[in-house]
Amino acid sequence: MNASHEPNLRFLLPSVVFVVVFSLYPIFESFRLSFYRLILTLPWLGQKFIGWDNYYDLATDPVALQSLLTSMTFVAVTTPVEVLLGLGMALVLNESFRGRGWLRAVVLVPWAIPTVVSSQMWRFLFNDRYGLFNFVLFGDATDRYWAPLAEPGLALMSIMVADIWKTSSFAALIILAGLQVIPRELYEAASIDGASPWQKFRHITLPLVKPALLLALLFRTIDALKVFDLVFVMTQGGPADTTNVLQFYGYKKSFAEGMIGYGSTIAVAVFLVSLLLSIAYIRLLGTRLLGKEEGA
Amino acid sequence: MKRRSRMSSFQLKTLLAILAFCLIVSEAMAQSQLRFVTWRSEAAGVWEQLIADFETRHPGIKVVREIGPHSSTEFHDLVTQKLRNRDPEMDVFFMDVIWPGEFAAAGWASPLDEFFSAAQQKEFLSAPIEANRYRGRIYGVPLFVDAGMLYFRKDLLAKYHVAPPRTWPELVDQAKLILAQERDPYLTGYSAQFKQYEGLICNMMEFILSNGATLWDEPALRGTLHLAAAKEAVRFVRDQIVGAISHRGVLAYQEPESLAMFTQGKAVFHRNWPYAWEIANDPARSKVAGKVGIVPLPAFSGHQSAATLGGWQLGISRFSRNTRLAWQFVDFMTSSETQKRIALYTGRAPARKALHRDPDILKKNPQFQSQYETFLRAAPRPVTPVYQPLSNIMQRYFSSAIAIPDSNIDQLAALASRDMDRVLDLLRGRGAP
Repeated sequence: MNASHEPNLRFLLPSVVFVVVFSLYPIFESFRLSFYRLILTLPWLGQKFIGWDNYYDLATDPVALQSLLTSMTFVAVTTPVEVLLGLGMALVLNESFRGRGWLRAVVLVPWAIPTVVSSQMWRFLFNDRYGLFNFVLFGDATDRYWAPLAEPGLALMSIMVADIWKTSSFAALIILAGLQVIPRELYEAASIDGASPWQKFRHITLPLVKPALLLALLFRTIDALKVFDLVFVMTQGGPADTTNVLQFYGYKKSFAEGMIGYGSTIAVAVFLVSLLLSIAYIRLLGTRLLGKEEGA
Repeated sequence: MKRRSRMSSFQLKTLLAILAFCLIVSEAMAQSQLRFVTWRSEAAGVWEQLIADFETRHPGIKVVREIGPHSSTEFHDLVTQKLRNRDPEMDVFFMDVIWPGEFAAAGWASPLDEFFSAAQQKEFLSAPIEANRYRGRIYGVPLFVDAGMLYFRKDLLAKYHVAPPRTWPELVDQAKLILAQERDPYLTGYSAQFKQYEGLICNMMEFILSNGATLWDEPALRGTLHLAAAKEAVRFVRDQIVGAISHRGVLAYQEPESLAMFTQGKAVFHRNWPYAWEIANDPARSKVAGKVGIVPLPAFSGHQSAATLGGWQLGISRFSRNTRLAWQFVDFMTSSETQKRIALYTGRAPARKALHRDPDILKKNPQFQSQYETFLRAAPRPVTPVYQPLSNIMQRYFSSAIAIPDSNIDQLAALASRDMDRVLDLLRGRGAP
C-alpha cells in the first residue's frame, strides 16, 4: 500500500510547491498582516501587533459595511442573470445549424476582450453627451439624456450591465461543455415516447446539466465578489461611493493609502465571504444534485 | 589525461575572462544608466529630444525612460509599488504636487538639500517649493506648475453684455441668463471635474477656500469641513452649480470630458488647468478657438479667489544607487533652459519665476502674463504623509454631498471631519521625521 503510493507523492511535489508558494503563502501572509497595524507612509509607527483590532474596526466601519452590501448586491444581481443568459446561449449553440462554429467563436469575444478595454468602451457608451446608450434610448431628445455613471442610483446598475455583457459568454462556455456530454440517445428515446421539447428540457437537459450550472454559478459568484477592474476604470467607486465594492475599497486602503494591515483585513474578509458562499453553494446545490443522481 | 586537464584549464580561463568581461560591462552599465519613470506626455518628442541632449552633454550616462499611465492615481500606484519594493532600478521619478509629504515620511524620496540650495530654491515659485518641503527638508524640484483657472466664452459674455464674473453667485446668474436666452439643450453653464477622484478635491477646495474656509487645520491636526463656511460652499455647489447650471453628467467628468464640452462650444464657463488654453484655442481641436477668455476663478463675496496648486516635480529614489548622477539629470531637466523648452513646446507653465517674464515664452503663451498672479497665490493642498487617506475621506464626502440632491450635508460633513480627525491623530506625538 505504502510502496504503491510513494511515487505518486513525488509526482505531486511540483504542484504542491507551486500551490504553497503562490497560493497558501500569500493567504497566510494576509492573515498574519491583518493582525498588525502597518502604515507604509508612517514608518515610525512600526509594525505593531494589535490582535483583533483591525477586525473590530472593519466590523464597525460604515464604509466597509456599505461596500460589502454593494458587493453582495452586485453578486446577487449579476450571477443569476449571467448564468441564465449563459444557459440560453449554450442551448442555442448546442443545436446544429449552419455557422455554428463561427457563432461559438463570436459569442466568446466579449469575454476575450481584456476587461480594462471593455470597461473603457462601456464608459464611452454611457457618456451623457455622446454615448450610444442615450442615442439609442432618446435619439435627438438631448434634453432627456441620462448620465448613468453620474447618478448614484444608476452607476452600480451600469457596471452590472457591463459585467453581464462581458461574462455571460463565460457561463455559456461552461454550460455548453455540460450540454455536450448529455448522450443523444436520451433525447431520441424521449422523442419516441412522445415527449415535448419542454419535457425534454425539464426532465433530461436540466438535471444532467446541473453540475455545469453549479460550476458556472460558483465561478461567477467568486469572480463577481472580486470585481475590481470595471469599477476602477468606469467610476473609481463614485458617485457618492455607490460603486465602492469591497475589493476596490481594500485596494484603496492597501495601495493608495499604504494601510497594509487594514487592507489585508479587508482582503481576508473578501476571502472568507467567498469561501462561505462557495461552501454554501456546494452544500445546497451539490447534495441535492448527488441525491438525484443516486435516485436515477 | 594531462591533455584533457590542460584543455579544461584553458576553457576555465576563457570562461573566467568572459565572466569578468560581463561583470565589468554590467557594472559599467549599472553605474552609468539612469532609469527615469514618467508618464506619457502629450508632446513625447520634446522629452526624447531633452533626454538625447542630456546624454550628449554627459557622455557615458544613458537615460532609460519608463513610461507609466497618465492618470495621477494610477501613476502613484506604479511609483509607490517600486518604492515599496525598494527597487534600485528606478532613479528619478515624476511626483504629483501632493506626494512629497508622503514620499518623504515613508523614506522613499531622497532629501535634496545637499544639491538644491536655498538660494537655488528662491528662483522657483514659492508655492510649489513649499509643496516639496517636509519637516524643513526639500524632496523634489518643481518642473511645471498648474493652478485652477476659469475659462469662459468671450463671445457669449459679450453677446449678453456681461463682464467675467468675480463672485460665484455672479457666475451662476450669468450662466442662467445665457442658458435661458440661448435655448440650446446641449449647452451647460459650468463644466468642471466633479467625479469622485482627486480632481474633485481640487475643484471643491477652490470653492471652500474662496469662502474663507479650509479642508483641515494642518498645524492643529483637526478636521474643519464641519464648520459653517465650508458647508456653505459645498451646499452652494450642490444647489447652485450641479443642481442648476450644470447638467448632472459633470458628476462623472474628469479633465478630458469637461474640456471636450467646452471645446465643442457646449459650455459657457469651464474650470481647468492652464494646459487647456492651448487646446481650446487650437482650431484643429476646438470649435471655440479665438473665443476663449481666461480669468482667475471667482470667490464668494468678501473673500479672495483661490486656485488649487497642481503640477509635477522630479524626485530621486532613496534606493537609487546613483544619487549623484540622478541629481545631474534632475538639475538638467529642471534648468531654466529645459523649462523654457517645455513651456514653448507643451504650453506647460514653468516653475521658475524668471521664465514667466521671458519674452519668447510670453510671445508663444501670452496667457502666462495674466496667469502669473494666480500662480503666485495658488494654494497647495496641505503637505502631510497621510494625504491619501484624507483625500479618500474627502472624495467620499464631497461626492455624496453634491451628487445626492437632498443630501444631509450637516451629517455628512460631521462624519467626514470625525474620520479625518482619526487619521490626523496618527500624526500626534510623532518622533523622528
